[in-house]
Amino acid sequence: MNKTLQNKIKPYIWLLPSIILMALFVIFPIMIVFRLAFSEVSKSGLMGGFVGLQNFKDAIGLPAFKTVMLNTLYWVISVVGLSTVLGFIIAMVLNQKFHGRKIARAILVFPWATSLVVQASVWNYIIKYEYGNLNNILLNLGIIKEAINWRSSYQIEFLWECGVGIFVTIPFVAFCVLSGLQSIDGTLYEAADIDGASYWDKLWRITVPLVKPSLTVSTVLNIIYVFNSFPIIYTMTRGAPANKTDTLVTYLYMLNFYDRQKGPATALSVIGFLVLCICAGVYMVGVMRKEEEL
Amino acid sequence: MNDTNAIAKKNRTALLLFLISLALTAVVLSLPAYRFTSSVYTKKSANTFVGDEKYTEVRAEVDAVAEEYRASGMDVSVSESVTERTNSKGEATSMVAFSVDQEFTKTGWSFLGSGLGSAWVLLAMLLCMVMSTACAAAGVIGSMGDDWHHLDGRSAAFRTASGVLALAALLLVPVFFMMNTYLMSRRVGLYLDELIPEGKDAFFAKLDGFLFGGQAGENIDDMLDGLRFRNTGAVWMVLPFAAAMMLAGIQIRNGSITHTLVRGLLYAFVIVLCLFILYPYYVMLVTAFRSIAETNDSDFLHLLPTQWRFGNLKDIVDRGVLRYLLNSLLIAGGATVIALLCGIPAAYAMARMRFKGKSVFLGFVIVSQMFSPVVLLIGIAQLIAALHLNDSIVGLMLINAAFNQAFAIWLLRGTFVSISPEMEQAAKIDGCNTVGSLVRVLLPMAAPGIVTTLIFVFINAWNEFTISSVLISTASNRPITVGITQFSNLNMIEWQNLFAASLLATIPVVILFMCIEKHLTSGLTSGGVKG
Repeated sequence: MNKTLQNKIKPYIWLLPSIILMALFVIFPIMIVFRLAFSEVSKSGLMGGFVGLQNFKDAIGLPAFKTVMLNTLYWVISVVGLSTVLGFIIAMVLNQKFHGRKIARAILVFPWATSLVVQASVWNYIIKYEYGNLNNILLNLGIIKEAINWRSSYQIEFLWECGVGIFVTIPFVAFCVLSGLQSIDGTLYEAADIDGASYWDKLWRITVPLVKPSLTVSTVLNIIYVFNSFPIIYTMTRGAPANKTDTLVTYLYMLNFYDRQKGPATALSVIGFLVLCICAGVYMVGVMRKEEEL
Repeated sequence: MNDTNAIAKKNRTALLLFLISLALTAVVLSLPAYRFTSSVYTKKSANTFVGDEKYTEVRAEVDAVAEEYRASGMDVSVSESVTERTNSKGEATSMVAFSVDQEFTKTGWSFLGSGLGSAWVLLAMLLCMVMSTACAAAGVIGSMGDDWHHLDGRSAAFRTASGVLALAALLLVPVFFMMNTYLMSRRVGLYLDELIPEGKDAFFAKLDGFLFGGQAGENIDDMLDGLRFRNTGAVWMVLPFAAAMMLAGIQIRNGSITHTLVRGLLYAFVIVLCLFILYPYYVMLVTAFRSIAETNDSDFLHLLPTQWRFGNLKDIVDRGVLRYLLNSLLIAGGATVIALLCGIPAAYAMARMRFKGKSVFLGFVIVSQMFSPVVLLIGIAQLIAALHLNDSIVGLMLINAAFNQAFAIWLLRGTFVSISPEMEQAAKIDGCNTVGSLVRVLLPMAAPGIVTTLIFVFINAWNEFTISSVLISTASNRPITVGITQFSNLNMIEWQNLFAASLLATIPVVILFMCIEKHLTSGLTSGGVKG
């Protein structure tokens, strides 16, 4: 009797350290943010009474709210979309047998392993108009006649930020797809060859369906990472001019720590959190369905 | 027999293609390759309105000058530009600038005798094409009807060489244009602005000889100052011929053009991709060892540092970078230890035990992966303040450990599941308890997966920026990612120091990441998909 009770409790004891750690530093902050979002918050961060949805109203009423939301949407869709397509293509190429494949794969790891602040700083320097490295290299190689202003407007700067986002996200997608590609049984292609299938047939009928699970994982995780990505925009433009290049995350940071508008900032935090929850929910449904199939 | 004839016929066609390409290239090079415009005479006339007395007077004067040039056999045209302004008294004034422009073209062939750098490129391109044709002939003659798979060594080598040389010719065409842009725009500009001292006279004498037939003499500075040029695209027409040569070369060497082309494109794609990825790292490396003046050089004088200043490393060490690196090491190391100490038992329970709420916990693990600390920044800042962990390295350790916990469990569980439980059961029969079998049997077998997890958590914690930048206020507690931002404040960015520190922050992690690259991806997706 005692033995069975012990066996029943045992798994939970093994889980306990992990649960405590996550409860304290993940669940607790979530609760704090929710409480703040529905309370009156002073500039110094002191919590007052319950104010209902006032903070959310304030947040939506901010002049930059619409721009920031649209930017976040563009940012996530363009970075995740393009890096998925490009990462898939690169993975297909790196899955071929050729000399130097190991070196190519090692090089592809670089952007993934490098801190985003460093990446963003380097690109920031590269595209400087007055002395940046891109103009330096193009002029000294005789490709252009005079220096080009690579960041002539904030729209273009935002595009550069998206570009850097794509650059750093591609390796993750490529490696996820590669692992999917390598698990495909080669005999499937041989059988398809015997049946006279074309390259495109094989791509759409064998490769894509079998890589789809890896691609789903990488896409969902990327949506989360990219949505939360802070250092690129913070380093390259800091949202300037007038929050025109901010995304939700950088905007709420500025609101909270610079402008001291803590009420609306926590409200934005909750909005962001809920968006992530929806993604998480969709993902969970997908995983669960997969499990039922297995 | 028939087969041999077919091959011989194909080889003859290929050889013919080589010769035709060569002949057409010669024709293309006699077309005008560049169109130049250079001002030989300019006159500005103030307080002049188009059509008034003064205008007519000056215009006649300029026309007379142009006529003189025409008499000496030069092709010139007169152009005028009008600038209208309102002066301080509010009256409209107008200035007319007249210019006598000389227009002329140069053919591809004329570059060969110019003595300019681009002449050597053009010569190299032509030589490549001629030698490619010669090699093709040498490789084909004597083995005209031989199968591609059974060529003797010498003809095979010649045939390979012909394809490679044709490829080289192909690549030299854009180099020729780049070289011309560089010489006639960039280098002339550098000399005129007196940014580089040596070799001006010799270089300008060459340009005078090539462009103006030596007539410019002492006026060469003015003539080159107003030089405008554009390529007519004629030399680009060599590209298809070089490409045809290359295809013919592939045909006589490998038989199958498509296969070779696909392989060639594959390599080209990979090389371009690698260069593109490495480009920011090249910039980091090159800039890290420049002087301040060179990092901010708006004349873009040097592609590489004139002098590699390794002293920059000493400068950043004096500014506390070693301390930041140590902090990062402590934070990332501590976070990794905590994450694994909590994560290994949890992953073990998930992999080996049956209990109620297992799928709920798994769901929680997957979902908590979705929460980045950034969105919860405000909550975390308050929590840390309440725990009195503000500005402390321990606080960052715990947060990094917590937010990597889900990933650690996910990766570890995947590893444990893939190892058969039989060995552990055997150990248990021998009298080991659960902890003993875990430590003595499972962990050694799972070592690759554990190392992968360890490095992954370490790198994530090492590269973390946002939370640290909010929580750490004392300089001596900063991790390196936050530490490097001290080199870029709003007034002045010390690029060389920023990138020297970035290099130190990047190199160790990149090396670590390359070690686990192979294991990491399989863990990432299998953990996710197999749920």
